[in-house]
Amino acid sequence: MKIAGAAQSPFAIERTYELMQDPAVLARAIPGCQSLSRTGEAEYKLQLKVILASLSGAFEGQVRLLDPLPPTSFRMVVEGSGKIGFVKGDGVLTLTAIDTGTEIAYSGEAQIGGNIASVGQRMVDTTARLLIKRFFKKLAAEGKKAGEGDAQDDELPESPAAEDENV
Amino acid sequence: MSSTTITRREKLVGKRIRRREDPRMITGTATYVDDIKLPNMLYAAFVRSPHAAANIRSIDISKAAALPGVVAVYVGKDTKDVGGVVCGVDLPGLRKPHHNVIAIDRVYLVGHSVAVVVATDRYVAADGADLIEVDYEVLEAVADPEKAIAAGAPAVHPEWPDNIAFRFEQKGGDADAAFAEADVVCKQRMISQRMVANPMETRGCVASWHSADRALTIYTSTQIPHLARTILAGMLGLEENRLRLIAPEVGGGFGCKLNVYAEEAVVSFAAMKLGRPVKWIETRRENFLTTIQGRGHVDYWEIAAKRDGTILGVKVKIIQDLGAYHQLLTPAIPTLSVLMMPGLYNTRNIQAEIVGVFTNCVPTDAVRGAGRPEATYGIERMVDILAAELKMEPADIRFKNFVAADQFPFATATGLNYDSGDYANTFHKALDMIGYKKLREEQAAARKQGRLVGIGISTYGEICAMGPSPAVAAGGWESATVKVEPSGKVTILTGISPHGQGEETTFAQIAADELGVPIDDILVLHGDTSIVQYGIGTFGSRGTAVGGTALYLALQDIKDKVLKWGAMLLDAADPSTVRFEGGQCIDDATGKTIFFQTIAGAAYRAMKIPAHSEPGLVATRFWEPGNFTYPFGAHIVHSEIDPETGQVEIKRYVMVDDIGNILNPMLVDGQLHGGASWGLGQALWEHAIYDDNGQLVTGEFMDYALARARNMPWIESAHTCTPSPVNPLGVKGVGEAGTIGSTPAMVNSVVDALSPLGVRHVDMPLTPEKLWQLISTRRTEAK
Repeated sequence: MKIAGAAQSPFAIERTYELMQDPAVLARAIPGCQSLSRTGEAEYKLQLKVILASLSGAFEGQVRLLDPLPPTSFRMVVEGSGKIGFVKGDGVLTLTAIDTGTEIAYSGEAQIGGNIASVGQRMVDTTARLLIKRFFKKLAAEGKKAGEGDAQDDELPESPAAEDENV
Repeated sequence: MSSTTITRREKLVGKRIRRREDPRMITGTATYVDDIKLPNMLYAAFVRSPHAAANIRSIDISKAAALPGVVAVYVGKDTKDVGGVVCGVDLPGLRKPHHNVIAIDRVYLVGHSVAVVVATDRYVAADGADLIEVDYEVLEAVADPEKAIAAGAPAVHPEWPDNIAFRFEQKGGDADAAFAEADVVCKQRMISQRMVANPMETRGCVASWHSADRALTIYTSTQIPHLARTILAGMLGLEENRLRLIAPEVGGGFGCKLNVYAEEAVVSFAAMKLGRPVKWIETRRENFLTTIQGRGHVDYWEIAAKRDGTILGVKVKIIQDLGAYHQLLTPAIPTLSVLMMPGLYNTRNIQAEIVGVFTNCVPTDAVRGAGRPEATYGIERMVDILAAELKMEPADIRFKNFVAADQFPFATATGLNYDSGDYANTFHKALDMIGYKKLREEQAAARKQGRLVGIGISTYGEICAMGPSPAVAAGGWESATVKVEPSGKVTILTGISPHGQGEETTFAQIAADELGVPIDDILVLHGDTSIVQYGIGTFGSRGTAVGGTALYLALQDIKDKVLKWGAMLLDAADPSTVRFEGGQCIDDATGKTIFFQTIAGAAYRAMKIPAHSEPGLVATRFWEPGNFTYPFGAHIVHSEIDPETGQVEIKRYVMVDDIGNILNPMLVDGQLHGGASWGLGQALWEHAIYDDNGQLVTGEFMDYALARARNMPWIESAHTCTPSPVNPLGVKGVGEAGTIGSTPAMVNSVVDALSPLGVRHVDMPLTPEKLWQLISTRRTEAK
């Protein structure tokens, strides 16, 4: 399944790029993320809680950021699996400076399997769009917070918005 | 012994008798597998692969095993001594993969079980299954049969890189010569998409082991209790007579329970290991993923004809999606398509080729119609395509090619022997009912207004009452025992295994008429291998035609015995003056009579025994049919498509079916209506879709569009009757007829509606989206 689209960030291109490489920011911005830790140079392990249609479950996954060309592009490879199935994604994010900040275009391939494939297929495309939209909304909020000099909160949000991500 | 007036009893056969099974079902007191609760019972849950193809690197069961309440965890290697899943089909050169009951080192379909957790309740079992960690090395999968046989496709089984399980060819006459001399040849590729059987009750079983007696009892939701016992005993290495298999109430099968599955063996294995009863009930999601599906054909049809519409020959190449391994009858199903390919037509020259293909999907097997719907769909679509090519009226081309009423028994080019029929008469009746000529005029008027109105015809035949033993895996005979109790109550033991067909009613009707006893005195038992003599089971529209005949013959034996006892008890000087009628023996010489019930008592008391007889009143018969039966009919659908939405509206649905004699019109209606809903479901909505990675993307009812009651048209149904000469009841079978006739009629109707737009064929299902896109494209092109 192909996934492609674009989103906007209110920050300048360099700042946007930087935010998207920051594990602490990513942990807060990724919908349903319960923990995220660095395991290598540009490699992260994360735990997600996913609720999709009639299924819910924990996912363990790995995110790798490859081919960095700051501040204009990088490739992201995501692999996650849990009791309700698995997800794999591989895509390139391209950043372009615009008047209001930065436009982030993404395109790639996603593959899902197991129960989520058989019961959630009709929702996957719209769900993916929704989650991506939420990610960038949260990224903007995180960037703003950091920009205003708020103390970095090392704790993850109390409730990683499990209901919030109930799609 | 008294002299009484005989009151003529009303015959029950042919009457609309309400199902005697229904009170227990509508009051919720029927016992399905999940209603069985045994002391100390454990529950099993399976861990299933999310990948369609993968090597298993390792399985970590430690967390599951440590979970309180988990009693045992078994993985594939623990079950190595359990025999593999059985395929009962032999075809020349057939490749049979060994399908272990739990995958050992490799999985080849999504849903393939890799472990089973047995726990004190089903929630703990499910939690335990979630704790099992499997490390998979994911491999490339293939889900489309045509892609699977293309060069470079991933191999479902590494030992057979071409993914071909078998090739099969059949020829009759000389098709090549017929095609060479034809004025016109039409070709069309057609898909009969995968369908899910969807019984209301999913699969499930309970196994209970008594080690001191070496006695295993299995309750399982099956259509074939005796065959399942034989097969499971073999898989488990248990003596057959130590295994009692009970099919309790079975909530629908539709072919998917004409099988023996790995889970039944695993649950039995666990019960034997643990010495405690074990239950497993399939979830709906498991049912979608792991229970056999139907159809799965890509067919290349060719038809050759003279300019006057005379069909000279038919060819078909069938690409059968078999799935990842063979269940009981998997490879045999497309061979039934070949047998059925001439339809009702007098076609002497046929040529068929089947390519059976492995894919990383759940196996296909017998699902309502099993091979005949695909063939009927193909030939009936081809006849319409030919008619359009020749600009002939679709009804006329059918009349021109029907096997004539005086040609029966008719030997087909595919080696069958059609028993009886009058196809033209039945078709005339259907055309009259719908007012065909007038309807065509109305259609012409509607077309002038730009409306998309269609009239679709299907004249179908089918192969029922399976069947002669040489032609059916595991035998095609059937058995019945009639036990008259000392009180004169009658117990019938039948080898078939009804699960919705209503033989507890129809068999009681037959016995009530034959013995002249009230229907309430008759009890029909089935589905318990410790009570019932060996039988074959219920499938292939065989229950009444084969099982009913065995019963009828056993009843004749009972009547012979009753006459002997009656003559003795009436002190008849000449036994030939004694007859048995209306529940009494009557000596016409003396006018003396004796009731059946009195005779039964005397036969057990046995104060005096007639010559050449014995005490008791029991008879058992095993009956081998000499041929299949061949019901047929004509379905006509009047439909209109809304071009703005692509929605198909069925305006009228007429079906005239000839199923031979009818024992209970109410049950026949039910079977035909249910069958039609299947066929319409395939034509319009249903499709089990696998993506390129072998993931089933229609795995629940939100995504799999099962036909609903509100989608069904009002069905106008009638019958003609040409009794079958194959059995003394003159019945043919009705379980699958509605399914087979309806699909092509519906598709022909839609294609007819779209024909002004230049549409010649559309593959099923004819969803609004598909039709809307087609209509929009064609209309844009036309501008």
